[in-house]
Amino acid sequence: MRPPRSGPAPRERLIVGVFTIAALGIGTPAMAVAQAAAPPAAQDSQQESPDVTRAIELENAGKFRDAIPLYRQAMRTNPTPIVVLGLERSYAELGMTDSLLAPLDSLLTRFPKEPLYHVVHLRSFQILRRYDAMRAAFERWVHDDPRNASPYGTYARMLIEIGQPATADSIIERGRIALGTARDLQYETAQLRAAMGDWEASARAWRQTLANDAGLASAASYALAPAPATVRPTLRTILGAAPPDRGARRALAELEITWGQPQAAWEALRVLPADTASATVWEEFGDRAMSEERYGLARDALTAAVRVRRTPALDLKAAAAALRAGSPAEVMTLAPMSEAGTDQATAARDYLPLHVGALAALGRGADAERLVAKYDKYLAPGQHERMARLLASAWVRAGDLQRARTALVAAGADADSSDAAGLLALYEGRLDVARRLLRGSQDQSAEMALVMGIVSRVRGDSAPQLGAAFLALARGDSTAAAQKFVDAVAQNPEAASALLIAAARIHAARNDAPGAIALWRRIVSEQGEAPEAAEAELEWARALRRSGDTQGAAAHLEHLILSAPQSALLPQARRELELLRGTVPPG
Amino acid sequence: MIEVVKRYRTAVRAAGAALVAALAIALAPPMLSAQRMLIPMDDGQTNHLKAYGLTYGAIKAGLQAEWLLNYRGGAFLLPDAPELRRRAALDGISLEPVSDGQLAAIRREMAGANMESVPLEKAPKVAVYSPPDAQPWDDAVTLALKYAGIEFTRVYDPEVEHGDLSKYDWLHLHHEDFTGQYNKFQLGYRDAPWFRELVAKNQATARQLGYTNVPALKKDVAEKIRQFVERGGFLFAMCGATETLELAIAGHDVDIAGEFADGTPIDPNADAKMNWKRSFAFKDAHLEKSPFINSMSDIDGHQVNVAGRRQPLGTFTLFNFSAKFDPVPSMLVQDHRAVLNDFYGVTTSFNKATLKNGVVILATEEGAPWTKYVHGDYGKGTWTYLGGHDPEDPQHAIGNPPTDLSLHKSSPGYRLILNNVLFPAAKKKPLKT
Repeated sequence: MRPPRSGPAPRERLIVGVFTIAALGIGTPAMAVAQAAAPPAAQDSQQESPDVTRAIELENAGKFRDAIPLYRQAMRTNPTPIVVLGLERSYAELGMTDSLLAPLDSLLTRFPKEPLYHVVHLRSFQILRRYDAMRAAFERWVHDDPRNASPYGTYARMLIEIGQPATADSIIERGRIALGTARDLQYETAQLRAAMGDWEASARAWRQTLANDAGLASAASYALAPAPATVRPTLRTILGAAPPDRGARRALAELEITWGQPQAAWEALRVLPADTASATVWEEFGDRAMSEERYGLARDALTAAVRVRRTPALDLKAAAAALRAGSPAEVMTLAPMSEAGTDQATAARDYLPLHVGALAALGRGADAERLVAKYDKYLAPGQHERMARLLASAWVRAGDLQRARTALVAAGADADSSDAAGLLALYEGRLDVARRLLRGSQDQSAEMALVMGIVSRVRGDSAPQLGAAFLALARGDSTAAAQKFVDAVAQNPEAASALLIAAARIHAARNDAPGAIALWRRIVSEQGEAPEAAEAELEWARALRRSGDTQGAAAHLEHLILSAPQSALLPQARRELELLRGTVPPG
Repeated sequence: MIEVVKRYRTAVRAAGAALVAALAIALAPPMLSAQRMLIPMDDGQTNHLKAYGLTYGAIKAGLQAEWLLNYRGGAFLLPDAPELRRRAALDGISLEPVSDGQLAAIRREMAGANMESVPLEKAPKVAVYSPPDAQPWDDAVTLALKYAGIEFTRVYDPEVEHGDLSKYDWLHLHHEDFTGQYNKFQLGYRDAPWFRELVAKNQATARQLGYTNVPALKKDVAEKIRQFVERGGFLFAMCGATETLELAIAGHDVDIAGEFADGTPIDPNADAKMNWKRSFAFKDAHLEKSPFINSMSDIDGHQVNVAGRRQPLGTFTLFNFSAKFDPVPSMLVQDHRAVLNDFYGVTTSFNKATLKNGVVILATEEGAPWTKYVHGDYGKGTWTYLGGHDPEDPQHAIGNPPTDLSLHKSSPGYRLILNNVLFPAAKKKPLKT
């Protein structure tokens, strides 16, 4: 892999010292700092001589031996950071870093205060593992530029990287005394303390560092992430202390996500002052939450951002998150149709689906229908069927199956033979039609998997009780849906286990453990040979474990493993059993 | 956290005791059936590590077991007992019923090849030398024992000093520093809270047991471990314990600890004063006298914590021994893989130049001046050393998450550890060589 054009030379891969240094994050931010010290290549390359430009081309072509003479010539006549970094890279590619030392030495004599040349000097000795010479190079830099904090910080970082944190500690202390302050060495102090496992001191140093440079939040979270659970509350206190600091809060949020606490991550960011910079942080967090399907968090974060800074793109994202998070009413205020202005095509493409989806979720079929009619001529091909499905869904929610069917018919033949039409048939108990229409469904959602799992098991062409159960589910009436699935067992005994497990899942989703356990027990005792028995027993065991009944949980897991040796759930059951026995680490 | 550990220990003890009790009840009448179960240990096995626990449990319950060296990866032959089948099913262990006829065919095949059947008779009483507050997963052997379901007892300095080692057949050591220098971690962790706590605890223990400093205590503990082996004990050590135990034994009458550990500098003539006749495996090693270099001696070939000396990891190859003539080393290298990835530890490998004559090399890296896995006799007992910390975490560093063995159910490296746990159960046969 080639090094970045403006970056430092590729260093030999320094394996993080086993047992001596745990801060894996050191390398990346140190590199970032070094890169920041180098001028941007694109800007400088325009000022370079033709020979240097030629050298860069040769280097890019992998002709390092041809590039080196050109770089060296330029180093003698017109040295620039681009030239020095180019020569460093080329020598490193050939494993000839030691050849850089002599010209660099001459250069430092001419430009003793140029920090980049000193950094390259130190780095060369680090690559060559000549640590005594590295120390001498550091002393030379201090001598050349005694009031600069960079020598102390750079050298300390390198010492941490090579597994000498105690020496790094003494260098930072020396810098503090020489400079009269450790303000410019907080970053190194923070990394150092993390490397030494002194998490609290590291967090305090990070707090100060981040106050000056919020961009190091990721570096901070990377360094502090390995902190053991026992010290995490202290780190939260330090990074979250008032007044809220944007960098520290971002680092804390990253840490909370790493530690598996996404809600706490949002809480860390939520208290930031409501300004445009915070809005950017919230938007980034919301985007990430959305991509991880944490819709509630995404809604909260993006809504907070919208309150500070409204842009159509941000509003649409916030509205989409609200809809997915089960807050359809918020769509109307977050991204009102009026926001599209007179651009009807944009309104139909970007805003209409959200609004119709929200109205459908609210069961406002008439409003949804009016809205679709208003923008009908701007709908793109293929959008009609989607709108028809949403309208049908709206009418289903409103309890009007007839109008739902009408909505599908009105949308044309495609819509009338769609998944939505199949679902509608199912709700009406017309199982033969539902089966025919849903057979070719491409829908991969969990809802459709539930439907197909049951429809394929039920015999006969009519199942009104079953349709009523699915209809209750579609209307969001989970209590009624669970009961209707159980009621449907009498008419559809061939699918009893599938119906009971569906009801049990609904109870479990509503945190109704006793209701779920009663159904799991029934499946295990009455339907022990059914494929759902394994799931029922596994979930039953998990519920018992959560309630503290480890003995009961173990008994069920053992029964599951022994009675269903071919079940696909066996690895999960064994894993649960290992955790119960304590034979694998918790986590 | 301590509460979690307590619960963990209680759970494991209870599970182990319950298993043994269940086996004993289930198998109280003698097994008259000729049916046997073969526990294959080649690629047909789905959980190699648990298979060791199954076999250990069978022996512990008084059942006859056999270790079929070099047959199907070192398979086990157990009675076809319902309770064993049950445990195998729960743990996901592959087994194959074997009729008398099939068993006769297996024995015929083994008779004509480099294979041997070794009866396993008595489950060894296992002790792990480890601080009482150590995390259960701070040590690969503890991890393996827990995962396999093999009971063990923790012992530490007070127990060793009180003579408790005589209660056990098998003792494991991990990354303890028997020179009393805390693996020289003060170089990197001088101010780390955990390190300060470690030093304080060790100093308090030394004072309680009547020693002036930690190196003096650790040397005496090392001496008692030496005596344990001399009297017939089985010792298995990994990581830094291998090297430092030897240094502490050979340096029993020499100041080999730095000033930070005992208040006096290391004896400048320590190398010359070391008595290598007392040690198990090594000779003529040179101590690292600098307190600023994180190394103990030149025994370790990889020197992982000395940046300028650190050697890269390669692979190591298990030697193949004659199962019929050298059953003990054969047992120690039973595996379904012959070439394994190396892994770092405080001590990763052993320089061949420092090995005594007569030490059996079990695994080595081709072309390298070091070896990975060695074994030998001492007095009436035996010792085995395996370099490195964790076979499934080759770059293990302090603070790393614990290895979850349910993700490494067929780890060839962990099999070497469990070979060592089981081999003391073998019925002793007179060696033919």
